[in-house]
Amino acid sequence: MTQPIAAGRTVTLTRHFAATPERLFDAWLDPSDVRRFLFATPGGEMVTVEIDPHVGGDALIVERRGDEEALHRLHYEMIERPRRLVFLFNACVAGGPVADEWTRVTVDIAPEGDGARLTLIHEGVWSDFEDKTREGWTMILASLADL
Amino acid sequence: MVEERLDATFAALADPTRRGMLAQLSAGERSIGALAEPYRMSFAGAAKHVAVLERAGLIERRKAGRQQLCRLRAAPLAEAEAWLRQWQRFWGESLDRLEALIAEEKERTR
Repeated sequence: MTQPIAAGRTVTLTRHFAATPERLFDAWLDPSDVRRFLFATPGGEMVTVEIDPHVGGDALIVERRGDEEALHRLHYEMIERPRRLVFLFNACVAGGPVADEWTRVTVDIAPEGDGARLTLIHEGVWSDFEDKTREGWTMILASLADL
Repeated sequence: MVEERLDATFAALADPTRRGMLAQLSAGERSIGALAEPYRMSFAGAAKHVAVLERAGLIERRKAGRQQLCRLRAAPLAEAEAWLRQWQRFWGESLDRLEALIAEEKERTR
């Protein structure tokens, strides 16, 4: 996978789960779990869940949403059960414009209390705003709020 | 080129009067006269500051009758924020379902 990761901002989510880190980790690579939680939308129908859970392996998750099919492609870069999962990610609509922008998702899992804390980091989501100048603008404008 | 533009931006922001004007504009469109008001400055003085902000790309102005109205060029910011929020929601929904899945499993094995 040689596509560069689109430069851009990062989306981060953190959440506590009442589950062991192992259980939580396995959900990301087990097709029967993935089918139920990952990229599923209300009213959508999961039509394809193919996972090759190895470093260098790919996954394809397709959900039918009305007339559209939403394609999610994953390419696993790091699989360290139960601590860390890293994959390249690309989402597009079947038959629509091909999205050749790959972003990177890191799933970090750490024990927390009697459960586990999951941190999801999605890098490069700012594909529409790769122009550094604009990035500069938005930073500056955002910081104006603090003046 | 980009650096030049950023220099202009930082120069524009270096002045407290101009920062104040931007803060006013963040609430909506203002005439140059209205922007001048809090500073007890002449129209010409305010127009100079406005010109600096405009050159830096931070604001744009339009003619409305005899007035000139200024506004913040916040579109890139608004779009970027919407884009990020969309992704936040996208992953949040998956995590919601993962939470439900695990809760259900616990319920079954109880």
